[in-house]
Amino acid sequence: MSSITAKAGAMPSQPVRRRAKVDRSHWVGLLYIAPAILLVTVFFVIPLGMTAWMSLHNWPLMGQHRFIGLDNYLAITKDTRFWNALKFTLYYTVIVTIAIFAVAFPLALFVEKPRPMASVYRTAFFMPVVVGFASASLLWAWLLNVDSGLFSPAAQQLGLTEKKFNLIATFNPAFWSIIVMVVWKVAGFTMVILMTGLQSIPTELQEAAKIDGANAWQRFRTITLPLMRRTVALALILSVAGSILAFDQFYILLRGGPRNSTITAVYWIFNQSFVSFKLGYGAALSMVLLVILVVLSLIQLRLLRNPEGT
Amino acid sequence: MKRLTSLLAATATLLSMTALASAAETANIWVRADGSNFMPQIVEAFNKSHENQIKLDIIPNAELVQKYATSAAGGTAPDGLSLDLIYTPAFAAAGQLEDITDWAKSLPYFKDLSPAHVKTGTYKDRIYGLPFSADSSVLIWNKKLFKQAGLDPDKGPTNFAEIAADAEKVAGLGGDIKGFYFSGACGGCNIFTFTPLIWASGGDILSEDGSKATLDTPQMRDAIALYRGMVDKGLVPEGAKTDSGANFFAAFAAGNIGIAPSGAFAIGALNTQYKDIDYGVTFLPGKDGGSSSFAGGDNFVVTKGTPKLAVLKEFLDYAYSLEGQTLLASRGSLPVRGDLAKEALKDLDPRYQVAAEAMAKGRTPYSVVFNDIINSANGPWAQMVNEVFFGDDVDGALANAQETMQGIIDAGTGQ
Repeated sequence: MSSITAKAGAMPSQPVRRRAKVDRSHWVGLLYIAPAILLVTVFFVIPLGMTAWMSLHNWPLMGQHRFIGLDNYLAITKDTRFWNALKFTLYYTVIVTIAIFAVAFPLALFVEKPRPMASVYRTAFFMPVVVGFASASLLWAWLLNVDSGLFSPAAQQLGLTEKKFNLIATFNPAFWSIIVMVVWKVAGFTMVILMTGLQSIPTELQEAAKIDGANAWQRFRTITLPLMRRTVALALILSVAGSILAFDQFYILLRGGPRNSTITAVYWIFNQSFVSFKLGYGAALSMVLLVILVVLSLIQLRLLRNPEGT
Repeated sequence: MKRLTSLLAATATLLSMTALASAAETANIWVRADGSNFMPQIVEAFNKSHENQIKLDIIPNAELVQKYATSAAGGTAPDGLSLDLIYTPAFAAAGQLEDITDWAKSLPYFKDLSPAHVKTGTYKDRIYGLPFSADSSVLIWNKKLFKQAGLDPDKGPTNFAEIAADAEKVAGLGGDIKGFYFSGACGGCNIFTFTPLIWASGGDILSEDGSKATLDTPQMRDAIALYRGMVDKGLVPEGAKTDSGANFFAAFAAGNIGIAPSGAFAIGALNTQYKDIDYGVTFLPGKDGGSSSFAGGDNFVVTKGTPKLAVLKEFLDYAYSLEGQTLLASRGSLPVRGDLAKEALKDLDPRYQVAAEAMAKGRTPYSVVFNDIINSANGPWAQMVNEVFFGDDVDGALANAQETMQGIIDAGTGQ
């Protein structure tokens, strides 16, 4: 951002005769990004505007809608089940993000180094990423099934449990099953992002530090991590945003259970909109979630920006 | 001149042909997947014998309401719909349905139509839905397992104590065999099969007009104690805890379950798909005897403003005929015309008689927010049944569900 401003600030010092040329390239540039602008307008700006408009209405899925001003937003402040869902979503986001990084960082360090079969490892770790979340959830729904699945019958036959243990019947086993599944599914993606960050660090720096006598941990802490600030920021923002919008796995695997203890914010929005048919209220909830997400992303960007301010 | 005449004749023929073509109209109707055992058959029979035609779409159970609501909003709704009867008040309240009061009352057998259907089909004293298919909840037991366990295979349980005792004996056979099954994470299943235990004992979960939730009653606690007792003794498979309805019927059909609350539909499904299961059908009992049932099924409703009303009337007339009622009954849907029920069932499996009797005595809760409070997988009822059957805090679960349910009822549909 700041570098763009710097360039823009340098413009007036350019010779005046080049101005027409600049203008023309300006228009050509605009032409080039027109398709993107069109797409963003049609699929983001307009729907966003409609959502905002709907959120000011009592808008049932069936029947007539009417304008009610900010009533939906007032109702949200009293909607304890939404705030509980949001609380659970934040809890899930923190846990799953830590878990993803805890797995993805070592994996990235592992596959980054040239070694025999490195590309095989990369492919293997990345493979689950290309499976859709819904298909992955269905696969795990079978794995976790108490009667016909894998884990519970296997544990029983290996003598680990006396009788069949239903993994998704109580909160903790169910929640951690989801965490394991999501890490399996997403860690490969974070790994690739982190790997590109690692590869962009000049080897000379590492070598110089090595010559100066820095051990592996010191090099990681004082060279690798600081130079990966931007990469980590990108991976973090993607992971946090993805986790806050989590829905598929909880809907398909747990249906919000056991006993509605794993209902995420998006799940609640879905329920309000398409089970209770309150589209206006669902739209208002979406706007609130959007604001929360933007604020969280800004905070992360701020925390992870380069300290020098370049 | 001759040419002109033949030309005119040809034109006339052509015209009459197009007139004929336009006279035969096609109406589009939907049914939920539960109806796939009988709906295609009756539509086919109708199309064969009538000039006007019906085009049928089968929609997955869980998606029907959403799909209909979205297509109604988009102007592509079907002309008619076989709709789970408990949704009729909500659809009528939303102004989606055609008022068919005059047509309904003109039917000579109107007074003989299933009262549970007509009650839920009525909103603010106008009729929006007419009975189409019917299903009542009953108790089924596995005769082979009863025999093996040393029980009388021809005598089903008639009160709570007998259910628990019989289930324990059957579970005593060991191995994969369990005494009792229910879908412990399914709101819809349990309103169908668990509330009759409460009704038969003299309690209720909603006030008559649906304006008050009345969950914490002695009758509710007795019924909960029955289920909890069986869970504690390990008579119920572990999978019941998380079954959101997928195994509601399949568990019993696998042949390892002694007793299961189920519905009349199971008779049709067992007879056609699981012929080797020897089972009995009896009423869902109260704590000390008596019986009750959930009168379920579909109402036939008409989308507001459809131009095909005449075709739909013709189709419904056919379904209400003895031929139609017999055909429906043979495929597992109980007759909805009381005056024809005996005749329609006379050549069928005698176990249907139990289900038909249960239907006649059956009850149906009335609520415009039924989906929110009962059927929704994340609603207060679904949460409560799981907590009270398997959890540690029955009092807290009941209090919490009572409060949430009442809150949703008070807020109404948000209209």
